[in-house]
Amino acid sequence: MKIAISSEGPSLESKVGHRLGTSAYLIIVNLETMAFETLKNPSTSSGRGMQAVAFAIGQKVDAVLTGYCSPAAESYLTAYNIEVITGKEGTVSHVLDQYKPTKYSLPNSSLARPGKTLRQNVSEALLKTAGQFGKMLPILISIVLLMGLFKAFISRELLLSIFSGNKILDTIWGACFGSILPGNPINSYIIGGEMLKNGVNLFAVTAFMMTWVSVGIIQLPAEMVALGRRFSILRNTMSLLLSIGIAIATVLVFNLIGG
Amino acid sequence: MRSFVFLGVVIMVYGILFTIVPDKTLLALTGGMAIFLRIGIALILVFVLIFTLNLFLKPSHLTRFLGKESGIKGVTISALAGIVSVGPIYAWYPLLKELKARGVKTSLIAIFLNDRAVKPVLLPIMISYFGWVYVLIFTLATILGSLACGFLVGVATGEGM
Repeated sequence: MKIAISSEGPSLESKVGHRLGTSAYLIIVNLETMAFETLKNPSTSSGRGMQAVAFAIGQKVDAVLTGYCSPAAESYLTAYNIEVITGKEGTVSHVLDQYKPTKYSLPNSSLARPGKTLRQNVSEALLKTAGQFGKMLPILISIVLLMGLFKAFISRELLLSIFSGNKILDTIWGACFGSILPGNPINSYIIGGEMLKNGVNLFAVTAFMMTWVSVGIIQLPAEMVALGRRFSILRNTMSLLLSIGIAIATVLVFNLIGG
Repeated sequence: MRSFVFLGVVIMVYGILFTIVPDKTLLALTGGMAIFLRIGIALILVFVLIFTLNLFLKPSHLTRFLGKESGIKGVTISALAGIVSVGPIYAWYPLLKELKARGVKTSLIAIFLNDRAVKPVLLPIMISYFGWVYVLIFTLATILGSLACGFLVGVATGEGM
C-alpha cells in the first residue's frame, strides 16, 4: 500500500504541508517496505492545485494525508478510491507513525486493528499469502524442473570432478556457485538438497546455501547504485569470506553433535 | 512476470530436449515430479507459516524502528527486520538508501541484508532435506555470520557497530 503525504521539505522530518495543492513536496511511502521517495509537487504555483491530485492518482497511492484538501480535489481523489485524510500537522514521520488505514487493506497494523473483523483480517492475510506464494511458485517449479534435468543429464562423475572431496576446495567452490545468482532461500535448499543426494559433500552445500542470499554478483551493480560502491564490495567480499569459514564451522559442529 | 518468463524458458528447454532425447527428458520430468512430491507437505506448512506471519506480524512494524536505534537494540532490530523482510532485495534498496543517507550505520544495513537469508517460514523445506539439527546449527551460524559481517563492515568503514 502506498500513501502520499504533503510536505514542506524533502525529508521525513519536514513539516506536513498545510495544503495538498501548494505544498512543496509529496512524500510517497510504501507501507509494506517503508521505502519512500520525495517528489517535487508539480503544482506549487497558485491556482494549479488539481495537478497535485492528478499527480497523486498517477503515483497510484491508496491514501493522501495532508493539512487541508479542497472539496473538489477530495472528490476527485475519492473517485479513484484514494482515501483522503486531512487535519494532519507535525512532522511527516509523526503523521506516518500515527497513520492507521481505515477503509483499505493495510499492512500496517495487526490483528487487533480497530474496525476490522477477525474474518476480514484472516481473509486479507490469506489473499496476501496466496499472492506471495503465487509469485514464488513459478520460480520454485522452474528450479524443481531444472533439478530434474540436472539429475538426468549431469552425471554424478561430472559433478564429482568439480567437487573432488577436498573439504576446503569444495567449500570454496560451493560459496562461489552460491554467490553468482541471488535468490529466494527456498530455492537454495532444494538445489543444495539435490546436490547432497548426488554426492556433493555437506561443506560445499552449506557454503552454497549460505552465499545464495547474502552474496550476489549479479545484483552487485544495483547494490552499488543504492548503497555505494565501497559498502557493496566490502559487504559482499566479507560475506563471501565469512560464509566459507562459517560453512566449515557449521558442518564440523554438526558432525560433532552426531549428525 | 519475470518468474513466468523463466518458467516458460525452462518448459521450452524441456520441449526442445524432448524432440532430441525423449527418454532422458521424460526421466528428467519424473525426477522433477519426485522432488515436488518430496517437498509437497513442507510446502503446505510453509504456506501456513507465511499466512500466520501475515496475520500477526507486519514487517513495517520493525522497519519503522530500523535505524532509530543503535547499539545492541539497533543490531537486534536490524537482524529481526532482515529476518521478517519479504520480497526481492531490490525492492528494499530505496529504503536502505534513504536510511544510509540519513546516517544509519552501514554495519546495521549489512546485518539487515545478510539476515534476509534466515527465513523461519521456509525452514520446513530445509528440514525435509537436511534434518532439524543441521537446520538449527545452520540458522544460528547464519545469524552469527551476519553479525560478524556487520561488525567487519563497521570496522572497515570506520563507523564501528
